Amino acid sequence: MIQNEIIKKIRSGGQTELGLVYAEYREEFLRWITKEYHCSDDDSKDIYQLTILIFYDNIKQGKLETLVSSVKTYLFGIGKNIVKEYIRKEKRYTPINQEKWLKEYLVEEQTQAPDEHAFDVAGIALAKLGNPCRRLIEMFYYEKKSMPEISEALQYKNAETAKNQKCKCMARLRKIFEEELSRTQKVINHVY
Amino acid sequence: MYTDERDITLVERYFEVDLDDVGMQEVSSRLETDEPFKALFVREQLLIQVIRYQGQQDKLQYLKRMERHLLASTPSLRPWYYLVAAAVIGALVVAFVWLSVPEDPNKLFQAYFKPYPNAFEPGVRSLHEGTQRRQALQAYEQGDYETAARGLKQSYNDHPEPGLLLLLGNANLTLGHVQEAEENFNLLIKNYDDLDLQAKWYLSLCYLKSGDVERAKNMLKELGATEISYASKAKELFEKVN
Repeated sequence: MIQNEIIKKIRSGGQTELGLVYAEYREEFLRWITKEYHCSDDDSKDIYQLTILIFYDNIKQGKLETLVSSVKTYLFGIGKNIVKEYIRKEKRYTPINQEKWLKEYLVEEQTQAPDEHAFDVAGIALAKLGNPCRRLIEMFYYEKKSMPEISEALQYKNAETAKNQKCKCMARLRKIFEEELSRTQKVINHVY
Repeated sequence: MYTDERDITLVERYFEVDLDDVGMQEVSSRLETDEPFKALFVREQLLIQVIRYQGQQDKLQYLKRMERHLLASTPSLRPWYYLVAAAVIGALVVAFVWLSVPEDPNKLFQAYFKPYPNAFEPGVRSLHEGTQRRQALQAYEQGDYETAARGLKQSYNDHPEPGLLLLLGNANLTLGHVQEAEENFNLLIKNYDDLDLQAKWYLSLCYLKSGDVERAKNMLKELGATEISYASKAKELFEKVN
């Protein structure tokens, strides 16, 4: 697969292509990052997984449309930034926490970090929403699939039906979130 | 929470990047002055962040499954005894290679051939896969190439997919069925765009294995000129064949 072909494939949905990229550059990346930054085996793998996720995210968010360098150079660049940023923030060596790192990455562009409690409650609401709603909104907001693509994948009648369904799912999610928020608020008030 | 349908639609369309300039203007000015609207906006932003976070977690789990699978087929990078062992083996290989120039294509094949990992669905069940396909992929992962080749061939005939063809070619090549492997890789190059460079790498190894050094050299030269991860391996092998 040539470089920009990989991007095109991943953009149009391929988890398989992401897996191929992962397998293809893994050995070289791990060898490089272990040597360059003296990371442990586990840390190197965690950093590589984050690198692949950022690569995927950049493609899906439209931040990466065409490559001027090779995929390898691009991945190594992301990896280098992750390590440098992490060292700068942590000031001393601690094993990388992928969950914390991903949360911080998502809220990076906001001026104000979201309330931790609200973030957790939203996670509970999403889990309670269940499928196919959860899958639908994940395809739309995370995988950035178009309504015709979603309609085909989830076998809706047409793109318009998928769009209506997405609005209903979001409305349900908001409702569950509000209910969960007020329920946990009551528990907190009761405890204090 | 305040629930004006029009405002909810406005916020929804903002995050769908579906607003015109007037709409964008309204959102930014109301974010400065209208507290209930701002709360609505912040809630929507939070929910979308959590959806994306969950999506990332799902992808991360996929990569972790893949890592476990790859780890099972490759030795650890770090422990010092592996490094020492690798260094000793490396020195022996260098000495051996030094003493045995020109290099035998079959020996080069042995040194460079490593079956392609099942990067397609490592240990996971897809919605469409039948029992046969699952068993074939499992057999491949476990190194039972005889069973894998049979199952992959049948699965490919039932539902043609480039990934299955690549693994089938690899299984055949491992078993020494070079002609079948060549057919598999040629079909992959001819009919699909996805895995043609991988197919060309393995095809060059097929040529080496069958002693057709000229064709191997041509293919390796072609791969060496690309910018994929096979390029350095291809250049190195080309030098040795040449």
